[in-house]
Amino acid sequence: MSDSAHEKSNEGLTRRQLLLVGAAGLAMGSGLLLVPKRYFRMPQHAEAFVAKVDHYQLDVANAITRGIAELGVSPQALKGKRILLKPNLVETASGAPHINTHPLVLRGAIEAFLKLGASAVMVAEGPGHRRDTLAVYEESGLADVLTEDHIPFHDLNYITGYDLPNAGRQSRLKTLTFPGLFREVDWVVSVAKMKTHHWAGVTLSMKNLFGVMPGIYYGWPKNVLHRVGIENSILDINATLKPHFAIVDGIVGMEGDGPIMGDPKRVGVVVMGRNLAAVDATCCRIMGIDPYQVSYLERADNWLGPISEKSIEQRGETIAAVRTNFKLIETIPAHRSLRLA
Amino acid sequence: MAGRLGGALHIDSTAWGVLAFRASGGAHEVTEQLCTILVREQDGDGRVCMNRAHPGSYWPTPLAILAWQDSTASQVAQNRAVHFLLNTTGIHFPKSPTEPSAHDPNIKGWPWIEDTHSWVEPTAMCVMALRATGHGQHDRVREALRMILDRQLPHGGWNVGNTLVFGRELYPMPETTGAALVALAGEVDGSEVARSIDYLQGEVDRLRTPISLGWSLLGLSAWDRSPANGLALVERCLGNQDRYGSYDTSSLCLLTLGALADDSKAEKPLFRRLNSKSRPLVAAP
Repeated sequence: MSDSAHEKSNEGLTRRQLLLVGAAGLAMGSGLLLVPKRYFRMPQHAEAFVAKVDHYQLDVANAITRGIAELGVSPQALKGKRILLKPNLVETASGAPHINTHPLVLRGAIEAFLKLGASAVMVAEGPGHRRDTLAVYEESGLADVLTEDHIPFHDLNYITGYDLPNAGRQSRLKTLTFPGLFREVDWVVSVAKMKTHHWAGVTLSMKNLFGVMPGIYYGWPKNVLHRVGIENSILDINATLKPHFAIVDGIVGMEGDGPIMGDPKRVGVVVMGRNLAAVDATCCRIMGIDPYQVSYLERADNWLGPISEKSIEQRGETIAAVRTNFKLIETIPAHRSLRLA
Repeated sequence: MAGRLGGALHIDSTAWGVLAFRASGGAHEVTEQLCTILVREQDGDGRVCMNRAHPGSYWPTPLAILAWQDSTASQVAQNRAVHFLLNTTGIHFPKSPTEPSAHDPNIKGWPWIEDTHSWVEPTAMCVMALRATGHGQHDRVREALRMILDRQLPHGGWNVGNTLVFGRELYPMPETTGAALVALAGEVDGSEVARSIDYLQGEVDRLRTPISLGWSLLGLSAWDRSPANGLALVERCLGNQDRYGSYDTSSLCLLTLGALADDSKAEKPLFRRLNSKSRPLVAAP
């Protein structure tokens, strides 16, 4: 999102930061100050699956089906479930299809979930930049695919919402307003794009969930979330919504000045998992980015999920086999120090 | 009016409904009923929100002002709403030398949501509403016009309100460009927006969705540059409901206004050339 500089956060220390300060004080007393704070947290464990998919024309559905199975999601867990797929539809521009989640990745996910027993699959998005959601739906190529597959599409920006207490409590927002549609589904799946981001460092499955917040309450480009802090909002939304699954389209991602003006980057992978923080940390390593240098991931570590490599069981391809360093721009502050050693 | 058939009340849909119904010659009694609903939903300080439980979502306020323009029973409510807008702005601050965005964040406009930065479309809507009610010379309107011009993209058109970020020019959007052109019509010289009109003229033929097409037709009409095939484009857009499902009420109304933008037989022309010297946006009955 390109407006965060104008929605400057007026947050002071968060409750969580205060707790960490307190923990640091205790650590000082016990002589443990030099140990990084991540080691004070309870250990967690998660799995991430990396599928090699060189081109969108290949069998994406098969790769996702295999990933779901290898991640231990049983057909019983999906049987009869209503699945909402949330893609990353940002803007359209001719010659720049790497901005949005590719429609064929969504088709693959739809086929996989239906094959595994889901009773219904729908796609829903509330773009942050375009008020005309249908235009992005059409021009991204998604309308062609969903029309052909008879899959419904919902514009989340205009759906009347319901409030939930803010479970993350990182921003000053006491409640978060989600689209009423979410009460009618069993699983929310973030189907994100692998991109660098000029405010947040990277945008992957966690940041993608900005798009679930209705524009009628949060504005365009989701101004309220920028105002209370992008990182705070990413953590709040994920902690409150508790999404069920993530699929990241890294077949062709975006490097450089993402999330809109960057360049296409061919990686040839689809990354999946049930824990979004772990999936995003894995994506970062594939992109040659240190997840501990991405502020919101570092804060999510061992809270919303593990991000350390040793806590994430890697299935499918190894990170080393597919790692492709994404271009970072030194003049963009959020990109500095991101490079993984 | 509901956002969709059988749905719950949507304030923006109701206001758009009044504007479209009036423009197409609908019965005054019907628009009065809808105006009464808008009055009922107004907060004490004059704002009109999407939802009373979300008082920060006051972006429908200018829409309500436009809807009340032809309603004598709604004049008190309209005055309160105007007062609210004139005394409300977004978050603004001086531009710092290290600012990555090129636009001037200190020029006041209006935000979508309370306590956030001002953006192009809500500012354009507020300018239309305030000009329509005779406040075109107010300092806030004059500053807002400057703000809209400041957010114009170097190669033409507007987006949400970012021009260059980290030195890269961002993409324009038809819907925002159309709204900005309506707000500026009659206020600035054509040479100042020629590149944006060119952009929109280049886009309009390929637009297939109601928000983009509706605002584009209104924007081009405001500068007497309507496409000759405007109605055919509207018909094609309506036909796309087979593909997208039924359009929501606001989109349908906006498309209707776009279709009527250049129709001299329309009962009350809307969003044509606005005149800052108090010419009403909607002609008196």
